[in-house]
Amino acid sequence: MKSPDPAPPDGGHARRARPLLGTLVEIAADAPPAVFTRAFAAVEKVQALMSYHDPASELSRLNREASAGPVSVSAWTGEVLRAALDLAAETEGVFDPTVAPRLTALGFLPPTAGAPRADGRATWRDVELASRNRVRFRRPLRLELGGIAKGFAVDRAVEVLQKAGVAEGMVNAGGDLRVFGSVEWPVEIRHPGQPGLSAASVPVCNAAMATSAGYFARRRHAGKDVTALLDGRTRQPLDPDTSVSVMAPTALLADALTKVVFALGPASETLLQRHGASALVLDSHGFRAIPPILPHAT
Amino acid sequence: MNPWLRATLFPAAMIGTPIAGHAVVYLNVAQAQQAIFPGAGMTAAPLKLTAEQKKAIEATSGVRQRDDDVKAWRVSGGGWFIVDEVLGKHEFITLAVGITASGTVKGVEIMEYRETYGGQVRDPKWRAQFVGKTKAAPLKLDQDIKNISGATLSSRHVTEGVKRLLALQAVALRG
Repeated sequence: MKSPDPAPPDGGHARRARPLLGTLVEIAADAPPAVFTRAFAAVEKVQALMSYHDPASELSRLNREASAGPVSVSAWTGEVLRAALDLAAETEGVFDPTVAPRLTALGFLPPTAGAPRADGRATWRDVELASRNRVRFRRPLRLELGGIAKGFAVDRAVEVLQKAGVAEGMVNAGGDLRVFGSVEWPVEIRHPGQPGLSAASVPVCNAAMATSAGYFARRRHAGKDVTALLDGRTRQPLDPDTSVSVMAPTALLADALTKVVFALGPASETLLQRHGASALVLDSHGFRAIPPILPHAT
Repeated sequence: MNPWLRATLFPAAMIGTPIAGHAVVYLNVAQAQQAIFPGAGMTAAPLKLTAEQKKAIEATSGVRQRDDDVKAWRVSGGGWFIVDEVLGKHEFITLAVGITASGTVKGVEIMEYRETYGGQVRDPKWRAQFVGKTKAAPLKLDQDIKNISGATLSSRHVTEGVKRLLALQAVALRG
């Protein structure tokens, strides 16, 4: 039942969830079923365009053909690729959407069928995005937008809900979430060492939050636990027992910036502030906010 | 203002509130039917699988068919609607799958999601406490639903479940 006044942010909304983007995508909103369907359709479209696993996606086509000549992509794929390349330039390759061959070597991604062998020297600098969304690779490489497209999908679903006149709501794609409207949504951050516990509860209002951590995506490699989170410059996996949460104006930014904060730690402060973002790092030593806050009494 | 200033941080002693036990009911049977086959009529067509059928489903899908009982509905105008459960390592998910008359997926909806840690999910008694709740699911949901930031579990088990139900339809649901 909807409580009369004021409605708690998660008590008064219908919730729906579908398996998409390799996770469960959940939408909470006071909206008719048709609007939910349209919001999920936006997420499905992002998946169809940018899935690394689907041979029919635009992304897979780029990986097969863009090293031989320019390939035109849709506006959405172009938009995500532009954002990925901008962040790669801004971070000098800490964020790099071409680390997929390393992830394949670590066992996190399957090899791409029918694509030319990736050049081990290839980086984001070998990806050209020209006018009218024409993409060309200077060397054979593997473009992978997993670290940013999920956030973009959340933003597109939020856009559908807002355009339909929905006043407040939440879209959560496996922990990359965005809320809109005037109410605060309490969000729990999993404890990196014990993901069955919440390590922090944060009120979120009209913002996006994404968390990257190793707890559900770790493998044994060469005798130690590794995650799918890499530093783009060194291509080395990052600490599996750390969790990074970023709050940002859009889910795309929040999603992408978690990887940068993971690699740079407090050195990411200027970058975060430039994007109107901030981060919370949880590890075995405790908590650290970037930019820092005064120690919080607990 | 720094947004983390208002965070409630649980100290390193790990006395955070449990997420385990986190449970969401999304849709009841009627709602899931309407979500996947809007406006269609449904006729209950429950089914008990034979040992041969279970074997055939496993051979086709590569996924183990645990239950003998299948909660299936025949859709007016063709197709099938099936409610099923999948077990992950820490999660127990009730899902609805719509299958067209030609045997392709029409839609997948998550009906319930329950998460736990420490092996409870493998305990039939733990799961039994939720069975049947879907039927009576309220339109609006409990107050204690948690919004969680931090990778959820992979949807691999759901994907496998859908694959298994497609095989089940081909093997055991005809017409």
